[in-house]
Amino acid sequence: MSLALEIGSICEQELAKVSESRMTALGVVVGVFSGVEVESLRFCLDVVLKDRFGDVALEIEREPGLAACLSCGVRFEVQRAPFECPECEAVAHGVSGGQSLQVSYLEVE
Amino acid sequence: MSAERVDVKKKVLSANDQLAEEIRTDLTRRGIFSINMISSPGSGKTTLLERTIDALKDRLRLAVVAGDVQTRNDAERLKRHGVPVEAIETGGGCHLNAEQVTRSLEAIDRDQLDLLVIENVGNLVCPSSFDLGESIKVVLMSVTEGEDKPLKYPAAFRRASALVLTKTDLIPHLQFSADTAIENARSVNPDLRIFSTSSFTGVGLDEWQDWLAERIEENRRST
Repeated sequence: MSLALEIGSICEQELAKVSESRMTALGVVVGVFSGVEVESLRFCLDVVLKDRFGDVALEIEREPGLAACLSCGVRFEVQRAPFECPECEAVAHGVSGGQSLQVSYLEVE
Repeated sequence: MSAERVDVKKKVLSANDQLAEEIRTDLTRRGIFSINMISSPGSGKTTLLERTIDALKDRLRLAVVAGDVQTRNDAERLKRHGVPVEAIETGGGCHLNAEQVTRSLEAIDRDQLDLLVIENVGNLVCPSSFDLGESIKVVLMSVTEGEDKPLKYPAAFRRASALVLTKTDLIPHLQFSADTAIENARSVNPDLRIFSTSSFTGVGLDEWQDWLAERIEENRRST
């Protein structure tokens, strides 16, 4: 819920910077390793957005993680642990990305 | 009227992250090592901490920030061990944030400190997202919780530097394989340093405490 409230505050700050007064859509990026449960966030955001901005179309984009296999060097996208290399089946180290939690865009009118 | 798109690309936790970075800078400047302890409720954070304080307090200067949703019970327990303790009651919040820690630190004498322990609210989800400016995260998992905890809550285990498996004295009474639990933890985070302990019998505590003391020593040498 605190994440949803923080997103609401960011929207208010961004809305104050433009001449349009109404937000019609919001895009949020949630990395698969951000530790954020998307459905919970969506539930809380629905409440916060409705309360502060009325009807807003919410788009949540998932950002995958990137893994590099230490055995064979193959790079591949990962959605969840454990990270098994698709080429040689070794458990890959060196996972990066997928940590984002960001407000990507607003649509205003 | 047609809708106009405004690119924002702003991190949701940027306000928290900025405060956390200020905490980190302050602690680093003072040569203080810090750990953020994360686990489910009832995994034994406070008990492990009581044992750890008793073992280290004669050779190192410690302070604790203890978070709970309600009550100051953990903080009161820890105070009896003779170290400065600040309680944070989150009043419903399921995690600590950097702002709460900043306020607590104002009440702690940071000129006389080697180790700051932040005992987070019992929860394996949200605490892993909020940076508190700590040097490392330590995740706890008790043997009564099920071997697949690391797979169910990967973020907490991925972001931790060490895993303390607690209550291992209970293993004979349970269908719990420590090997499977450790294998699961390693599959999520191959670099995790793992300690199997029992705060009740004392098994494994020396190894955990020595490792922690070494990290603190290392930190002091590098600053």
